[in-house]
Amino acid sequence: MNEIQYSGEHLWVGQAGHFLIILSFVSALFSVLAYFVSFRSKLPNNSMGWAQLGRYSFYTHGLCLLGLMGMIFYSMYNHMYEYSYVFDHVSEDLPLKYILSAFWEGQEGSFMLWMFWHVILGIILTRTTDKLEAPVMFSIALAESILMSMLLGIHIPWGDEAFKIGSNPTTLLRQMNEAPIFANADYLTLIKGRGMNPLLQNYWMTIHPPTLFLGFASTIVPFAFAFAGLCQNEHKDWLKQVLPWSLFSAGILGTGILMGSLWAYVALSFGGYWAWDPVENASLVPWITLVAGIHVNLVSKNTGYATRSVYFFYLISFILILYSTFLTRSGVLGDTSAHAFTEMGLEWQLIFLMVIFTIPGMFLLIKNNKAIGNPDKEEELPSREFWMFIGSLVLLFSAILITSSTSLPVFNKIMTYFSPDFEGKVIKDPISHYNKYQLWIAVFISILSSGAIFLRYRATNWNIKKNKLFSLLIIFVVLGIMLTGISTFMISLYSWQYFITCFAAFFSVVSNLTYIIIVAKGNFKLAWSAIAHFGFGLMVIGILASGLNQKFISTNPFVFQGMFTDEDLEKYVQLIKGKPLFSQGYFITYQSDTLVGKERKYTINFKKLNDSLEVTDEINLHPNAIYSNDFTKVATFNPDTKHYLHKDIFTCIVGLPPSLQSAEEAKKIEDSIKFTTYTLPFKDTLSVANYKIKSKSITFTPENEEYNKHIHDAGVGINLEVIDTLNDTVYHVEAALGMQGALLYNYPVSINEAGIRIKLDEKMFDSYFTPDEDLDYKEYVIKNGDSIQFEGLNITLNGFDKEPIHPNYKKEEDDIAIGAQLAVTGQGINAEAKPIYIIRKNVPMSVKHYSGETGLHIRFSNINPSDETFSFKVAKDKRKTSNISLGIAKDVPRNDYLILQATIFPGINLFWSGSILMMLGLFLAAWHRYSIKNSTNNA
Amino acid sequence: MNRNIIIALAFIAVGIVVFLSVSKDVSTYASFSLAEKSSQSSKIVGHLSKDKPMEYDPQNKPNEFSFYMKDSDGLEKKVILNKPKPQDFEMSEQIVVTGKMDGAVFEASEILMKCPSKYKDEEIAVKGQKS
Repeated sequence: MNEIQYSGEHLWVGQAGHFLIILSFVSALFSVLAYFVSFRSKLPNNSMGWAQLGRYSFYTHGLCLLGLMGMIFYSMYNHMYEYSYVFDHVSEDLPLKYILSAFWEGQEGSFMLWMFWHVILGIILTRTTDKLEAPVMFSIALAESILMSMLLGIHIPWGDEAFKIGSNPTTLLRQMNEAPIFANADYLTLIKGRGMNPLLQNYWMTIHPPTLFLGFASTIVPFAFAFAGLCQNEHKDWLKQVLPWSLFSAGILGTGILMGSLWAYVALSFGGYWAWDPVENASLVPWITLVAGIHVNLVSKNTGYATRSVYFFYLISFILILYSTFLTRSGVLGDTSAHAFTEMGLEWQLIFLMVIFTIPGMFLLIKNNKAIGNPDKEEELPSREFWMFIGSLVLLFSAILITSSTSLPVFNKIMTYFSPDFEGKVIKDPISHYNKYQLWIAVFISILSSGAIFLRYRATNWNIKKNKLFSLLIIFVVLGIMLTGISTFMISLYSWQYFITCFAAFFSVVSNLTYIIIVAKGNFKLAWSAIAHFGFGLMVIGILASGLNQKFISTNPFVFQGMFTDEDLEKYVQLIKGKPLFSQGYFITYQSDTLVGKERKYTINFKKLNDSLEVTDEINLHPNAIYSNDFTKVATFNPDTKHYLHKDIFTCIVGLPPSLQSAEEAKKIEDSIKFTTYTLPFKDTLSVANYKIKSKSITFTPENEEYNKHIHDAGVGINLEVIDTLNDTVYHVEAALGMQGALLYNYPVSINEAGIRIKLDEKMFDSYFTPDEDLDYKEYVIKNGDSIQFEGLNITLNGFDKEPIHPNYKKEEDDIAIGAQLAVTGQGINAEAKPIYIIRKNVPMSVKHYSGETGLHIRFSNINPSDETFSFKVAKDKRKTSNISLGIAKDVPRNDYLILQATIFPGINLFWSGSILMMLGLFLAAWHRYSIKNSTNNA
Repeated sequence: MNRNIIIALAFIAVGIVVFLSVSKDVSTYASFSLAEKSSQSSKIVGHLSKDKPMEYDPQNKPNEFSFYMKDSDGLEKKVILNKPKPQDFEMSEQIVVTGKMDGAVFEASEILMKCPSKYKDEEIAVKGQKS
C-alpha cells in the first residue's frame, strides 16, 4: 500500500509530546540514580555533587511533565482528533469548562495528574528537608520514573503477543485503529470526537480528581521519610519532620474521599454516600493506616515507644495506595465494582510498581528491627501512649478486614492460576458484611479516642489525677446513656449492637467536647485532636441516623423499616403526572417536566401535612434525565436533594416511559399506534369502544399547549368531550391543526388515563382555509373614514399606523410601511384588521391581514396620493363546515409518568459535619505541627 | 513483655473468630441447579438470553422486570428482578444476580452488570451520519 499523505494533522504536537515523555522518563531515572549515589556515599547535600544532580534532573523531569501536559491540553483545546486521547475524551459540543475534566477522565491523564502532584510535593521537599533530601527524594523520583513508564507506550514482541509498557497519550488515532476511513487523506474533516461521558460532565469531576490525587500523591511523603530513616538507620530525627506532612496527607486524602462520597450522594443516582464498593474501600484503607501511623508517630516522638509501628504504617499506607491503583485500574475487580476504570493492559506494570515499593522497605524494616529498638520498660497501663497504640492496632484490624474482603477477586484470580477449575468466592451481601464488623471498630475507636485524650504520656501525674478522671468517666458514661436514650425518641436503633454503637459515639462526643472546653480551653493548638475525635463521634451518630433510619417513599403507607425485609419493600414508586401519592407524611406530586438542551427537568412537589391535614411545608425538587450526546437515549438520571438541618429528602428518577427513554423505543411505539379515521357531522356523538366522543365547538385560536409553543399563520382547533362510559369520567380536550407557510402541523391530544389519542384529519384544514391563490379577491377603492360592504360585513377605514406591527412583517432598512386600521363589524363580529402596505426598494408589497374567526383575507393593495384614495382587496375562505374528521387511536401507552426513588435521610448532616470536623482537626494539626517545626528550627 | 503478648494473643483470637464468622458471608457463585437446592440467597453469574423476551411494564409494575438468563452451566431460567429495568440492560455482557429460586423462577433482589466499555465496538463516527 502506498503511504498516504494525510492532510490537516498537527504531528509536531505529538512528536514534541513523545519527546517530552522520553526525556521526562530518562531524567526521572537519572534523578533516582543520582540521589541513590548521593545518600549511599553520604556526601553532604550542600556541596556540588550527586544530590544536586539528582535535584536538577528531578526539576527537568517536572518541567518535561508540565510541557507534556501543556501539549495534551493544547491538542484537546484545539480538538485535534488525530490524537486518540483527544478523540476519546473531547467533542465539539463539550463545554470549555469541562476540558480539565476531560483531561483526567482517562487513565493516562490521571497518571499525569498524580505525577504532577508528586512534582509539586517533590519541589517543596527539596527545599525543606536539608539532610534527608537525597534519601527522601530517592523514593519520589523512583515513583515518578515508574509512573512515567506508564506513558511510554513501548510494545515488545513476546511470542505471539506484544508485551506492552505503558500507554502513550500522544498516539495517533490511525495508529490505534484500523478503519477504512483512514484511506482518506482528509479523514480529519470526516470525524468528530466521542466526547466525555455525560455522567461525568459536572463540576464534581473538576474538583474531586485533583483533590483525591493530591491525597494519593501526598502519601508518598511519609513513605519516603520512613524509607529514608530505614536506609540511614537513623530512627529519630525524621519522626518530627514528617508529622505535618502525614497530617496534611491524611487531611487531604480524607477530603478527597469525602468529596467522592458527597458526589455520589448529591449528583449520582447511587442513593447514598457509602456503598462499600471496592473502589471506595481501596482509597479508605490507606487513609485508615495513615491515621494509625500518625498516632504511633506521636507516641514514638513523645515517648520512644512504637517506632517500628510508625515505619510499618507509613510504608504500608503508600503500598496500599499502589494496591488500590492496581485494583481500580487492572480490571481485576470485574463485576464486583460499579465504577472501576476500564482495563488498559498494564496489570504487570502495576504489579511491578507495587513490588518495587514493598520489598526494599519491608526488608530494611526487618533487617533494622533490632537497631530501631524500644524502651526497655513497658508502657504504663494508664498512659496515653499505651491506649493510642491499642487504638492503632484496632485501626490496623479494620484495615485488614476491609482489605481482605475487597481483595477476594484478587484471591480468586490467583487461585485460578493454580487450579483452573477454582470457583471464585464472593461476599453475598457486601454492605451488611462490612457494616457488621466495622460497627465494632467504630465502638472501640470512639471509646479509645475519647478516653486516651485525658491521659498523659508516661502516665504523668496519674496518681494525683486518677480520682478526678474516674469521676469524669462516670459522668461521661451517664451522659452517654442518657443521650442514647433521648435519641431513641428521634431515631430507631433496632438491635443491641446499634445501642452500644450509639452509646459509644455519644460518649465520644461528650468527652471530647469536655476536653475542648475544660482542658484545651478552646485553644486550637491543644484541641485539634479532640476536634477530630469529636467529629468522629458525630459522624458515627450521623451514620446510625441516616443509614438505619432512611425512609423510602413507597406505595405502601404502612412501611416500617425493619418489619419488612428489603425485598418486600418497594423502593421505587410510579408517579403519574398530577396525581398525588401519600407516603411518609408527604403528598408527592409529579407536576411538570421541561426539556432544555439535553436535560429533561422534572418538578416533583412535596407537601407535608400535619395531623389536622394542613400543609405545613411545601418544596419542589428537580431531578432530571440527561440524554446522550447524540440524543438517542437517556444517558443518566441525576438526583435532586432538599437539605434540611435535621434531614435530607433525596429524589432520583429511576425510570421513564419507554417512549421518553430511547428514540428507538419511541419510534417503535409511534409506529405501533394506528389511527382510524371517523367523519361525522359537527356536534354529533361518535362511539368508539367504551368512549363517546362529541365535538363541542370550533376555535381558530386553539389553546392546545403544543400548538401555542409555535407560531402559525392560521390554525383550527376542535373542542371535544370524551366520555369514558366504563369509568364514568368526562374529559374535555382540544385537538388542533396549525399552518406555517406551506407546512401543516398536527397537534393530536392524548388522554393518558384512557389510553386514547385523537387527532384532526389533515383534510379538515382544506375545508376551513382556502389557499391564497384560490381566493376570489374583490378590490375596493375608498377614502379614509369610508366603509366597504362585503358579504354582510361592514369594513371601515379608521386611520393609519406609521409603525405597523405584524407577525409576518419584518422591518428592513429604507422600508416605507403603512398599516391601515380597519374595523370589521356585523353578523355579531366586532374585530380589528391591520393589513400593511410596504414600499421596499421602490417595489410595492403588502402583508395581508387574516382572521380565522371571520375567515376574511384583507390586503392593503395600493395608495393613490393624488386623490387620497386607498385600495383594499378582500376575500373570504370558502368554508364547508358540514363534517369533521377525527383520527382516533386506542390502547396508546401512557407517557405521563415516571418511576421515582425518594428517600428521607434523617440526621445526615451529622455525618457530613462530623467528617468535615475530622478533616479540619487534621489540617489544624498539620498547621500547628508545621509552625512548631519552624519555630524550633529558627531557635 | 507479658502484657504485649496478651494483647497480641487477644487480637489474634478475635481475628480467628472474625475469620471463622466471615466465612459464612462468603459463598461461591452458584448455578441455578445449586440455587434450587438451597434455601439461602445465592449469587449466580450468567448472561442474558437475548432471543427470549424481556418484560418490563413500568406503567403497572414498576418494581418488576423479568428476563431469561443462562448460567455458567448453560442452564436457562426466567429471572424476576424486583427493581426497575436497569439502564443499558441489553448491552450487558455478563450479569450477576442475587436472590433465591422460587419454583421455576429465580427471584432476584440485586443485579450487577458488566457492560462493554462505552464505545468499544462503535465504529469511528462519521460527521452528519448517524449509524
